Amino acid sequence: MNNKRKWIIRGCSLLVILAIAALMFLVGRGHTVYIDNKTLEFNGQTADALQRVEVWVGGERLSKLAKRERTMSTVIGQNFEMKLISTINKGDEPTEEIVKISLPYGWDGIVVNVPGYLAGLPQEAWMTEFIAEPEPVTAEDEPELSEDEIPMGDF
Amino acid sequence: MSNISKPAGSRSVGKTVGSFLANNSVPIMFILICAVCIPLSGFSLDYLLNEIITRLGRNAFLILSLLIPIMAGMGLNFGMTLGAMAGEIALIFVSDWQIWGIPGVILAMIVSVPFSVLLGLFCGKIMNMAKGREMITSYIISFFINGVYQLIVLYMMGSVIPIAHSSIKLPRGYGIRNTVGLLNMRQCIDNLLAIRVGGVKIPALTLLIIVLMCLLIIWFRRTKLGQDMRAVGQDMQVARDAGIKVERTRIISIIISTVLAGFGMILYLQNIGNLSTYSAHSQVGMFCIAALLVGGASVDRASIGNVFLGVILFHLMFIVAPQAGAKITGDSMIGEYFRVFVSYGVITIALIMYEMKKRRQKANIGEQLALAQKEEVQHEQ
Repeated sequence: MNNKRKWIIRGCSLLVILAIAALMFLVGRGHTVYIDNKTLEFNGQTADALQRVEVWVGGERLSKLAKRERTMSTVIGQNFEMKLISTINKGDEPTEEIVKISLPYGWDGIVVNVPGYLAGLPQEAWMTEFIAEPEPVTAEDEPELSEDEIPMGDF
Repeated sequence: MSNISKPAGSRSVGKTVGSFLANNSVPIMFILICAVCIPLSGFSLDYLLNEIITRLGRNAFLILSLLIPIMAGMGLNFGMTLGAMAGEIALIFVSDWQIWGIPGVILAMIVSVPFSVLLGLFCGKIMNMAKGREMITSYIISFFINGVYQLIVLYMMGSVIPIAHSSIKLPRGYGIRNTVGLLNMRQCIDNLLAIRVGGVKIPALTLLIIVLMCLLIIWFRRTKLGQDMRAVGQDMQVARDAGIKVERTRIISIIISTVLAGFGMILYLQNIGNLSTYSAHSQVGMFCIAALLVGGASVDRASIGNVFLGVILFHLMFIVAPQAGAKITGDSMIGEYFRVFVSYGVITIALIMYEMKKRRQKANIGEQLALAQKEEVQHEQ
Protein backbone atom coordinates (compact mmCIF):
# COMPACT_ATOMS: atom_id res chain seq x y z
CA MET A 1 0.00 0.00 0.00
CA ASN A 2 2.80 2.33 1.02
CA ASN A 3 4.70 1.40 -2.12
CA LYS A 4 1.60 2.04 -4.24
CA ARG A 5 1.18 5.48 -2.69
CA LYS A 6 4.83 6.26 -3.39
CA TRP A 7 4.40 5.41 -7.07
CA ILE A 8 1.19 7.43 -7.30
CA ILE A 9 3.00 10.47 -5.86
CA ARG A 10 5.88 9.96 -8.31
CA GLY A 11 3.48 9.61 -11.25
CA CYS A 12 1.58 12.75 -10.22
CA SER A 13 4.85 14.70 -9.87
CA LEU A 14 5.89 13.59 -13.35
CA LEU A 15 2.52 14.64 -14.76
CA VAL A 16 2.80 18.06 -13.10
CA ILE A 17 6.30 18.54 -14.59
CA LEU A 18 5.05 17.50 -18.03
CA ALA A 19 2.12 19.90 -17.68
CA ILE A 20 4.53 22.74 -16.81
CA ALA A 21 6.66 21.84 -19.85
CA ALA A 22 3.58 21.89 -22.09
CA LEU A 23 2.54 25.24 -20.64
CA MET A 24 6.01 26.66 -21.30
CA PHE A 25 5.73 25.43 -24.90
CA LEU A 26 2.54 27.41 -25.31
CA VAL A 27 3.31 30.61 -23.47
CA GLY A 28 6.98 30.82 -24.41
CA ARG A 29 6.74 30.50 -28.20
CA GLY A 30 8.63 33.42 -29.66
CA HIS A 31 7.79 35.18 -32.90
CA THR A 32 9.36 37.99 -34.85
CA VAL A 33 6.73 40.29 -36.28
CA TYR A 34 7.70 42.41 -39.28
CA ILE A 35 5.45 45.39 -39.78
CA ASP A 36 5.31 46.65 -43.36
CA ASN A 37 4.07 49.87 -44.85
CA LYS A 38 4.05 48.69 -48.46
CA THR A 39 1.39 48.74 -51.16
CA LEU A 40 -0.47 45.42 -51.21
CA GLU A 41 -2.35 43.86 -54.07
CA PHE A 42 -4.73 41.00 -53.39
CA ASN A 43 -7.33 39.52 -55.74
CA GLY A 44 -7.54 42.71 -57.79
CA GLN A 45 -7.83 44.94 -54.72
CA THR A 46 -5.04 47.42 -53.93
CA ALA A 47 -4.19 48.84 -50.52
CA ASP A 48 -1.83 51.77 -51.03
CA ALA A 49 1.06 52.42 -48.69
CA LEU A 50 0.31 55.07 -46.05
CA GLN A 51 2.00 58.45 -46.01
CA ARG A 52 3.32 57.78 -42.51
CA VAL A 53 2.58 55.32 -39.75
CA GLU A 54 3.83 55.29 -36.18
CA VAL A 55 4.06 51.85 -34.60
CA TRP A 56 3.84 51.55 -30.82
CA VAL A 57 4.41 48.25 -29.04
CA GLY A 58 4.22 47.82 -25.27
CA GLY A 59 3.88 51.55 -24.66
CA GLU A 60 7.04 52.39 -26.59
CA ARG A 61 7.33 53.85 -30.05
CA LEU A 62 8.92 51.21 -32.19
CA SER A 63 9.27 53.16 -35.39
CA LYS A 64 7.83 55.80 -37.67
CA LEU A 65 7.40 54.21 -41.08
CA ALA A 66 7.39 56.09 -44.36
CA LYS A 67 6.19 54.43 -47.58
CA ARG A 68 7.90 51.11 -48.41
CA GLU A 69 9.51 50.86 -44.96
CA ARG A 70 9.50 47.98 -42.52
CA THR A 71 10.11 47.58 -38.80
CA MET A 72 10.18 44.55 -36.56
CA SER A 73 9.27 43.51 -33.06
CA THR A 74 9.64 40.33 -31.07
CA VAL A 75 6.85 38.80 -29.06
CA ILE A 76 6.55 35.84 -26.71
CA GLY A 77 3.19 34.05 -26.93
CA GLN A 78 0.50 34.05 -29.60
CA ASN A 79 -1.07 37.44 -28.90
CA PHE A 80 0.41 40.55 -30.42
CA GLU A 81 -0.87 44.02 -29.71
CA MET A 82 0.30 47.26 -31.27
CA LYS A 83 -0.93 50.81 -31.62
CA LEU A 84 -0.85 52.38 -35.09
CA ILE A 85 -1.00 56.13 -35.58
CA SER A 86 -1.41 56.45 -39.31
CA THR A 87 -1.53 59.35 -41.75
CA ILE A 88 -3.10 58.11 -44.99
CA ASN A 89 -2.25 61.07 -47.24
CA LYS A 90 -0.05 64.11 -46.80
CA GLY A 91 -1.86 66.76 -44.71
CA ASP A 92 -4.46 64.31 -43.30
CA GLU A 93 -5.19 64.13 -39.58
CA PRO A 94 -3.48 61.06 -38.08
CA THR A 95 -5.81 58.31 -36.89
CA GLU A 96 -5.09 55.95 -34.03
CA GLU A 97 -5.95 52.29 -33.92
CA ILE A 98 -5.17 49.45 -31.52
CA VAL A 99 -4.43 46.24 -33.43
CA LYS A 100 -4.71 42.86 -31.74
CA ILE A 101 -3.47 39.91 -33.74
CA SER A 102 -3.46 36.22 -32.91
CA LEU A 103 -0.23 34.79 -34.28
CA PRO A 104 0.00 31.28 -35.79
CA TYR A 105 2.02 28.99 -33.49
CA GLY A 106 4.09 27.43 -36.23
CA TRP A 107 5.38 30.62 -37.82
CA ASP A 108 8.67 32.03 -36.54
CA GLY A 109 8.58 35.22 -38.57
CA ILE A 110 5.33 36.93 -39.48
CA VAL A 111 4.87 39.84 -41.88
CA VAL A 112 1.97 42.16 -41.10
CA ASN A 113 1.07 44.56 -43.88
CA VAL A 114 -0.43 47.68 -42.28
CA PRO A 115 -2.16 49.14 -45.39
CA GLY A 116 -3.76 45.77 -46.11
CA TYR A 117 -4.95 45.45 -42.51
CA LEU A 118 -6.37 48.96 -42.41
CA ALA A 119 -8.08 48.47 -45.80
CA GLY A 120 -9.97 45.51 -44.35
CA LEU A 121 -8.46 42.89 -46.62
CA PRO A 122 -8.74 39.25 -45.47
CA GLN A 123 -6.14 37.98 -42.98
CA GLU A 124 -4.34 35.79 -45.51
CA ALA A 125 -3.60 38.95 -47.50
CA TRP A 126 -2.06 41.10 -44.78
CA MET A 127 -0.48 38.35 -42.65
CA THR A 128 2.11 36.10 -44.28
CA GLU A 129 4.95 33.94 -43.08
CA PHE A 130 8.40 35.46 -43.26
CA ILE A 131 10.91 33.01 -44.64
CA ALA A 132 14.46 34.17 -44.13
CA GLU A 133 17.08 33.53 -46.75
CA PRO A 134 19.71 31.09 -45.52
CA GLU A 135 22.48 32.95 -43.75
CA PRO A 136 25.86 32.89 -45.43
CA VAL A 137 28.32 30.65 -43.65
CA THR A 138 31.25 32.33 -42.01
CA ALA A 139 34.35 30.68 -40.65
CA GLU A 140 33.02 31.28 -37.14
CA ASP A 141 29.89 29.24 -37.82
CA GLU A 142 31.74 26.11 -38.76
CA PRO A 143 33.05 24.03 -35.87
CA GLU A 144 36.82 23.88 -35.76
CA LEU A 145 37.61 20.49 -37.20
CA SER A 146 40.88 18.70 -37.23
CA GLU A 147 41.97 16.66 -40.22
CA ASP A 148 39.80 13.75 -39.26
CA GLU A 149 36.78 16.08 -38.84
CA ILE A 150 36.47 15.59 -35.10
CA PRO A 151 36.75 18.68 -32.90
CA MET A 152 39.57 17.80 -30.54
CA GLY A 153 40.35 21.27 -29.17
CA ASP A 154 40.34 20.22 -25.54
CA PHE A 155 42.32 17.04 -25.89
CA MET B 1 49.64 29.04 38.97
CA SER B 2 49.11 31.92 36.57
CA ASN B 3 52.75 31.65 35.53
CA ILE B 4 52.18 28.10 34.42
CA SER B 5 48.83 28.69 32.69
CA LYS B 6 49.95 31.74 30.73
CA PRO B 7 52.50 30.04 28.47
CA ALA B 8 50.11 27.12 28.01
CA GLY B 9 47.35 29.56 26.99
CA SER B 10 49.57 31.48 24.59
CA ARG B 11 50.77 28.15 23.17
CA SER B 12 47.18 27.10 22.59
CA VAL B 13 46.40 30.48 20.97
CA GLY B 14 49.46 30.07 18.78
CA LYS B 15 48.35 26.56 17.91
CA THR B 16 44.85 27.80 17.05
CA VAL B 17 46.21 30.61 14.88
CA GLY B 18 48.61 28.17 13.24
CA SER B 19 45.91 25.66 12.47
CA PHE B 20 43.60 28.46 11.23
CA LEU B 21 46.32 29.66 8.86
CA ALA B 22 47.07 26.11 7.72
CA ASN B 23 43.40 25.30 7.12
CA ASN B 24 42.71 28.57 5.29
CA SER B 25 45.99 29.04 3.48
CA VAL B 26 44.39 29.12 0.02
CA PRO B 27 41.73 31.80 0.74
CA ILE B 28 44.29 33.87 2.65
CA MET B 29 46.69 33.66 -0.29
CA PHE B 30 43.92 34.81 -2.65
CA ILE B 31 42.89 37.66 -0.34
CA LEU B 32 46.52 38.85 -0.42
CA ILE B 33 46.71 38.53 -4.23
CA CYS B 34 43.45 40.49 -4.61
CA ALA B 35 44.60 43.11 -2.08
CA VAL B 36 47.70 43.72 -4.19
CA CYS B 37 45.97 43.54 -7.59
CA ILE B 38 42.87 45.69 -6.89
CA PRO B 39 44.73 49.01 -6.47
CA LEU B 40 47.01 48.13 -9.39
CA SER B 41 44.07 47.39 -11.70
CA GLY B 42 42.59 50.85 -11.16
CA PHE B 43 39.00 49.59 -11.35
CA SER B 44 36.34 51.54 -9.44
CA LEU B 45 34.49 49.95 -6.53
CA ASP B 46 31.18 50.19 -8.46
CA TYR B 47 32.65 48.32 -11.41
CA LEU B 48 34.13 45.59 -9.21
CA LEU B 49 30.88 45.18 -7.25
CA ASN B 50 28.88 44.97 -10.48
CA GLU B 51 31.19 42.35 -11.90
CA ILE B 52 31.30 40.30 -8.70
CA ILE B 53 27.52 40.28 -8.30
CA THR B 54 27.05 39.32 -11.97
CA ARG B 55 29.56 36.49 -11.65
CA LEU B 56 28.06 35.38 -8.35
CA GLY B 57 24.68 35.00 -10.05
CA ARG B 58 26.27 33.30 -13.04
CA ASN B 59 28.46 30.75 -11.24
CA ALA B 60 27.22 30.11 -7.70
CA PHE B 61 24.53 27.60 -8.73
CA LEU B 62 27.05 25.55 -10.71
CA ILE B 63 29.46 25.45 -7.77
CA LEU B 64 26.68 24.53 -5.34
CA SER B 65 26.15 21.39 -7.42
CA LEU B 66 29.56 20.16 -6.23
CA LEU B 67 28.63 20.06 -2.55
CA ILE B 68 26.53 16.89 -2.48
CA PRO B 69 29.15 14.46 -3.89
CA ILE B 70 31.69 15.89 -1.42
CA MET B 71 29.18 15.17 1.35
CA ALA B 72 28.94 11.57 0.10
CA GLY B 73 32.73 11.23 0.20
CA MET B 74 33.15 11.17 -3.57
CA GLY B 75 35.44 14.17 -3.73
CA LEU B 76 35.32 16.91 -6.33
CA ASN B 77 32.89 15.87 -9.03
CA PHE B 78 34.67 16.58 -12.31
CA GLY B 79 31.68 14.75 -13.82
CA MET B 80 29.61 17.91 -13.38
CA THR B 81 30.64 18.59 -16.99
CA LEU B 82 28.13 15.87 -17.91
CA GLY B 83 25.34 17.93 -16.40
CA ALA B 84 26.64 20.99 -18.25
CA MET B 85 26.43 19.04 -21.52
CA ALA B 86 22.87 17.95 -20.70
CA GLY B 87 21.97 21.59 -20.09
CA GLU B 88 23.51 22.60 -23.42
CA ILE B 89 21.62 19.90 -25.34
CA ALA B 90 18.39 21.10 -23.71
CA LEU B 91 19.19 24.69 -24.71
CA ILE B 92 19.84 23.63 -28.31
CA PHE B 93 16.41 21.98 -28.44
CA VAL B 94 14.67 24.93 -26.82
CA SER B 95 16.38 27.32 -29.26
CA ASP B 96 15.23 25.15 -32.13
CA TRP B 97 11.66 25.12 -30.81
CA GLN B 98 11.86 28.93 -30.47
CA ILE B 99 10.77 29.06 -26.85
CA TRP B 100 12.03 32.37 -25.52
CA GLY B 101 12.46 34.17 -22.24
CA ILE B 102 11.79 32.65 -18.83
CA PRO B 103 9.51 29.91 -20.28
CA GLY B 104 12.52 28.90 -22.42
CA VAL B 105 14.78 28.68 -19.38
CA ILE B 106 12.21 26.63 -17.42
CA LEU B 107 11.59 24.32 -20.39
CA ALA B 108 15.34 23.86 -20.91
CA MET B 109 15.69 22.89 -17.24
CA ILE B 110 12.89 20.33 -17.55
CA VAL B 111 14.31 18.92 -20.80
CA SER B 112 17.80 18.67 -19.29
CA VAL B 113 16.63 16.47 -16.39
CA PRO B 114 16.31 13.12 -18.24
CA PHE B 115 19.70 13.62 -19.92
CA SER B 116 21.31 14.59 -16.61
CA VAL B 117 19.74 11.65 -14.78
CA LEU B 118 20.95 9.16 -17.39
CA LEU B 119 24.45 10.62 -17.47
CA GLY B 120 24.57 10.83 -13.67
CA LEU B 121 23.46 7.21 -13.39
CA PHE B 122 26.16 6.14 -15.82
CA CYS B 123 28.82 8.21 -14.05
CA GLY B 124 27.72 7.01 -10.59
CA LYS B 125 27.80 3.35 -11.64
CA ILE B 126 31.31 3.68 -13.03
CA MET B 127 32.46 5.60 -9.97
CA ASN B 128 31.17 2.78 -7.79
CA MET B 129 33.46 0.46 -9.71
CA ALA B 130 36.39 2.77 -9.03
CA LYS B 131 35.96 3.55 -5.34
CA GLY B 132 38.76 5.68 -3.96
CA ARG B 133 39.61 6.98 -7.42
CA GLU B 134 36.41 8.92 -8.05
CA MET B 135 38.00 12.19 -9.11
CA ILE B 136 40.25 10.89 -11.85
CA THR B 137 37.45 8.55 -12.97
CA SER B 138 34.92 11.36 -13.25
CA TYR B 139 37.51 13.50 -15.03
CA ILE B 140 38.09 10.85 -17.68
CA ILE B 141 34.35 10.10 -17.96
CA SER B 142 33.81 13.77 -18.78
CA PHE B 143 36.28 13.45 -21.68
CA PHE B 144 34.54 10.29 -22.89
CA ILE B 145 31.06 11.84 -22.73
CA ASN B 146 32.44 14.94 -24.43
CA GLY B 147 33.24 12.71 -27.39
CA VAL B 148 29.72 11.29 -27.39
CA TYR B 149 28.33 14.83 -27.12
CA GLN B 150 30.39 15.94 -30.13
CA LEU B 151 29.10 12.94 -32.09
CA ILE B 152 25.48 13.74 -31.25
CA VAL B 153 25.71 17.48 -31.79
CA LEU B 154 27.96 17.43 -34.83
CA TYR B 155 26.56 14.47 -36.75
CA MET B 156 23.24 13.31 -35.32
CA MET B 157 21.45 16.60 -34.78
CA GLY B 158 19.75 17.53 -38.01
CA SER B 159 20.17 14.08 -39.54
CA VAL B 160 18.78 11.64 -36.96
CA ILE B 161 17.50 14.11 -34.36
CA PRO B 162 15.18 16.66 -36.00
CA ILE B 163 16.50 20.21 -35.93
CA ALA B 164 14.42 22.59 -38.01
CA HIS B 165 15.95 26.00 -37.54
CA SER B 166 18.51 27.02 -40.09
CA SER B 167 19.96 29.63 -37.72
CA ILE B 168 21.38 26.92 -35.47
CA LYS B 169 21.95 24.18 -38.04
CA LEU B 170 25.06 24.01 -40.19
CA PRO B 171 24.37 24.79 -43.87
CA ARG B 172 25.35 21.25 -44.88
CA GLY B 173 22.05 20.13 -43.34
CA TYR B 174 23.19 18.44 -40.16
CA GLY B 175 25.22 19.42 -37.12
CA ILE B 176 24.94 22.50 -34.95
CA ARG B 177 26.78 25.75 -35.57
CA ASN B 178 29.73 26.74 -33.42
CA THR B 179 27.65 29.36 -31.64
CA VAL B 180 23.97 29.18 -30.82
CA GLY B 181 22.50 32.58 -30.04
CA LEU B 182 20.44 32.79 -26.88
CA LEU B 183 19.64 36.46 -27.32
CA ASN B 184 15.94 35.88 -26.78
CA MET B 185 16.54 34.53 -23.31
CA ARG B 186 19.64 36.57 -22.50
CA GLN B 187 19.58 37.68 -18.85
CA CYS B 188 15.81 37.16 -18.71
CA ILE B 189 16.10 35.86 -15.15
CA ASP B 190 18.77 38.39 -14.16
CA ASN B 191 16.72 41.33 -15.40
CA LEU B 192 13.43 40.27 -13.83
CA LEU B 193 13.16 41.93 -10.39
CA ALA B 194 16.63 43.44 -10.84
CA ILE B 195 17.39 46.20 -8.35
CA ARG B 196 19.77 49.09 -8.93
CA VAL B 197 21.66 50.33 -5.89
CA GLY B 198 23.85 53.26 -6.91
CA GLY B 199 25.56 52.04 -10.03
CA VAL B 200 25.31 48.39 -9.06
CA LYS B 201 22.75 46.07 -10.66
CA ILE B 202 21.57 43.33 -8.33
CA PRO B 203 19.89 40.39 -10.13
CA ALA B 204 17.45 39.76 -7.27
CA LEU B 205 15.65 36.78 -8.83
CA THR B 206 18.88 34.94 -9.68
CA LEU B 207 20.21 35.55 -6.17
CA LEU B 208 16.88 34.40 -4.74
CA ILE B 209 17.15 31.15 -6.74
CA ILE B 210 20.67 30.66 -5.36
CA VAL B 211 19.51 31.33 -1.79
CA LEU B 212 16.67 28.81 -2.27
CA MET B 213 19.22 26.31 -3.54
CA CYS B 214 21.35 26.88 -0.43
CA LEU B 215 18.31 26.35 1.80
CA LEU B 216 17.49 23.19 -0.14
CA ILE B 217 21.00 21.86 0.47
CA ILE B 218 20.77 22.70 4.19
CA TRP B 219 17.40 20.94 4.37
CA PHE B 220 18.71 18.01 2.35
CA ARG B 221 21.58 17.43 4.80
CA ARG B 222 19.01 16.85 7.53
CA THR B 223 16.93 14.35 5.60
CA LYS B 224 17.40 10.59 5.91
CA LEU B 225 19.12 10.50 2.52
CA GLY B 226 21.38 13.41 3.47
CA GLN B 227 22.36 11.70 6.73
CA ASP B 228 23.03 8.49 4.79
CA MET B 229 25.29 10.38 2.42
CA ARG B 230 27.25 11.87 5.30
CA ALA B 231 27.58 8.43 6.87
CA VAL B 232 28.79 6.99 3.56
CA GLY B 233 31.20 9.91 3.22
CA GLN B 234 32.70 9.26 6.64
CA ASP B 235 33.11 5.51 6.41
CA MET B 236 31.60 3.28 3.75
CA GLN B 237 32.09 0.08 5.69
CA VAL B 238 30.45 1.41 8.85
CA ALA B 239 27.58 2.83 6.73
CA ARG B 240 27.11 -0.55 5.04
CA ASP B 241 27.09 -2.31 8.44
CA ALA B 242 24.44 0.18 9.57
CA GLY B 243 22.19 -1.00 6.73
CA ILE B 244 22.74 1.90 4.34
CA LYS B 245 22.77 0.98 0.66
CA VAL B 246 26.15 2.56 -0.01
CA GLU B 247 26.29 2.13 -3.80
CA ARG B 248 22.75 3.41 -4.29
CA THR B 249 23.38 6.43 -2.06
CA ARG B 250 26.55 7.30 -3.98
CA ILE B 251 24.75 7.03 -7.32
CA ILE B 252 21.93 9.28 -6.06
CA SER B 253 24.45 11.90 -4.94
CA ILE B 254 26.04 11.96 -8.40
CA ILE B 255 22.64 12.10 -10.11
CA ILE B 256 21.59 15.07 -7.94
CA SER B 257 24.90 16.80 -8.66
CA THR B 258 24.57 16.23 -12.41
CA VAL B 259 20.98 17.51 -12.50
CA LEU B 260 21.96 20.61 -10.53
CA ALA B 261 24.96 21.17 -12.79
CA GLY B 262 22.58 21.05 -15.78
CA PHE B 263 20.37 23.72 -14.17
CA GLY B 264 23.45 25.73 -13.25
CA MET B 265 24.74 25.63 -16.81
CA ILE B 266 21.40 26.88 -18.13
CA LEU B 267 21.46 29.78 -15.64
CA TYR B 268 25.07 30.47 -16.62
CA LEU B 269 24.33 30.51 -20.35
CA GLN B 270 21.18 32.66 -20.02
CA ASN B 271 23.45 35.22 -18.40
CA ILE B 272 26.10 34.99 -21.13
CA GLY B 273 23.50 35.08 -23.95
CA ASN B 274 25.12 32.62 -26.33
CA LEU B 275 26.21 29.04 -26.34
CA SER B 276 29.60 27.94 -27.67
CA THR B 277 28.33 24.55 -28.74
CA TYR B 278 31.60 22.65 -28.70
CA SER B 279 33.52 24.30 -25.89
CA ALA B 280 31.18 25.95 -23.34
CA HIS B 281 31.29 22.95 -21.01
CA SER B 282 34.95 22.05 -21.37
CA GLN B 283 36.37 24.33 -18.68
CA VAL B 284 33.28 24.65 -16.49
CA GLY B 285 34.19 21.80 -14.15
CA MET B 286 37.75 23.01 -13.76
CA PHE B 287 36.83 26.61 -12.94
CA CYS B 288 33.99 25.65 -10.58
CA ILE B 289 36.22 23.26 -8.67
CA ALA B 290 39.01 25.84 -8.54
CA ALA B 291 36.57 28.46 -7.20
CA LEU B 292 35.30 26.08 -4.53
CA LEU B 293 38.86 25.27 -3.43
CA VAL B 294 39.80 28.95 -3.38
CA GLY B 295 36.88 29.42 -0.99
CA GLY B 296 38.62 27.14 1.49
CA ALA B 297 36.99 23.82 0.67
CA SER B 298 38.93 20.61 0.43
CA VAL B 299 38.37 17.26 -1.25
CA ASP B 300 36.44 15.92 1.73
CA ARG B 301 34.93 19.05 3.25
CA ALA B 302 32.98 21.89 1.65
CA SER B 303 30.30 24.27 2.82
CA ILE B 304 27.98 26.86 1.33
CA GLY B 305 30.25 29.56 2.77
CA ASN B 306 33.16 28.14 0.75
CA VAL B 307 31.06 28.52 -2.41
CA PHE B 308 30.39 32.22 -1.91
CA LEU B 309 33.87 33.10 -0.65
CA GLY B 310 35.32 31.10 -3.54
CA VAL B 311 33.23 32.81 -6.23
CA ILE B 312 34.07 36.24 -4.83
CA LEU B 313 37.83 35.68 -4.46
CA PHE B 314 38.37 33.61 -7.60
CA HIS B 315 36.41 35.92 -9.86
CA LEU B 316 37.81 39.04 -8.24
CA MET B 317 41.21 37.70 -9.24
CA PHE B 318 39.84 36.94 -12.73
CA ILE B 319 38.66 40.53 -13.10
CA VAL B 320 41.70 42.35 -11.75
CA ALA B 321 44.55 40.06 -12.83
CA PRO B 322 44.71 41.07 -16.54
CA GLN B 323 44.73 44.80 -15.74
CA ALA B 324 47.17 44.37 -12.85
CA GLY B 325 49.38 42.23 -15.11
CA ALA B 326 49.25 44.94 -17.77
CA LYS B 327 50.23 47.60 -15.21
CA ILE B 328 53.12 45.56 -13.81
CA THR B 329 54.58 44.08 -16.98
CA GLY B 330 52.96 46.12 -19.74
CA ASP B 331 51.33 42.99 -21.14
CA SER B 332 47.77 41.99 -20.18
CA MET B 333 48.39 38.42 -21.38
CA ILE B 334 50.55 37.89 -18.28
CA GLY B 335 47.41 38.37 -16.19
CA GLU B 336 45.53 35.92 -18.42
CA TYR B 337 48.25 33.32 -18.04
CA PHE B 338 48.34 34.01 -14.33
CA ARG B 339 44.68 33.28 -13.78
CA VAL B 340 44.76 30.04 -15.76
CA PHE B 341 47.93 28.98 -13.97
CA VAL B 342 46.33 29.79 -10.61
CA SER B 343 43.19 27.78 -11.46
CA TYR B 344 45.16 24.63 -12.16
CA GLY B 345 47.65 25.38 -9.40
CA VAL B 346 45.03 25.69 -6.70
CA ILE B 347 43.48 22.34 -7.67
CA THR B 348 46.92 20.72 -7.57
CA ILE B 349 47.68 22.23 -4.16
CA ALA B 350 44.31 21.09 -2.81
CA LEU B 351 44.88 17.54 -4.04
CA ILE B 352 48.40 17.42 -2.59
CA MET B 353 47.19 18.81 0.74
CA TYR B 354 44.37 16.28 0.84
CA GLU B 355 46.75 13.41 0.15
CA MET B 356 49.21 14.68 2.77
CA LYS B 357 46.44 15.02 5.33
CA LYS B 358 45.26 11.49 4.60
CA ARG B 359 48.76 10.09 5.00
CA ARG B 360 49.33 12.06 8.20
CA GLN B 361 46.06 10.73 9.60
CA LYS B 362 47.04 7.20 8.66
CA ALA B 363 50.46 7.67 10.24
CA ASN B 364 48.86 9.06 13.44
CA ILE B 365 46.49 6.12 13.64
CA GLY B 366 49.45 3.78 13.12
CA GLU B 367 51.43 5.52 15.86
CA GLN B 368 48.49 5.37 18.26
CA LEU B 369 48.02 1.68 17.53
CA ALA B 370 51.71 1.01 18.09
CA LEU B 371 51.58 2.93 21.42
CA ALA B 372 48.49 1.04 22.52
CA GLN B 373 50.14 -2.29 21.69
CA LYS B 374 53.29 -1.26 23.55
CA GLU B 375 51.29 -0.31 26.63
CA GLU B 376 49.41 -3.60 26.45
CA VAL B 377 52.65 -5.55 26.31
CA GLN B 378 54.02 -3.57 29.28
CA HIS B 379 50.85 -4.26 31.27
CA GLU B 380 51.10 -7.97 30.55
CA GLN B 381 54.74 -8.04 31.72
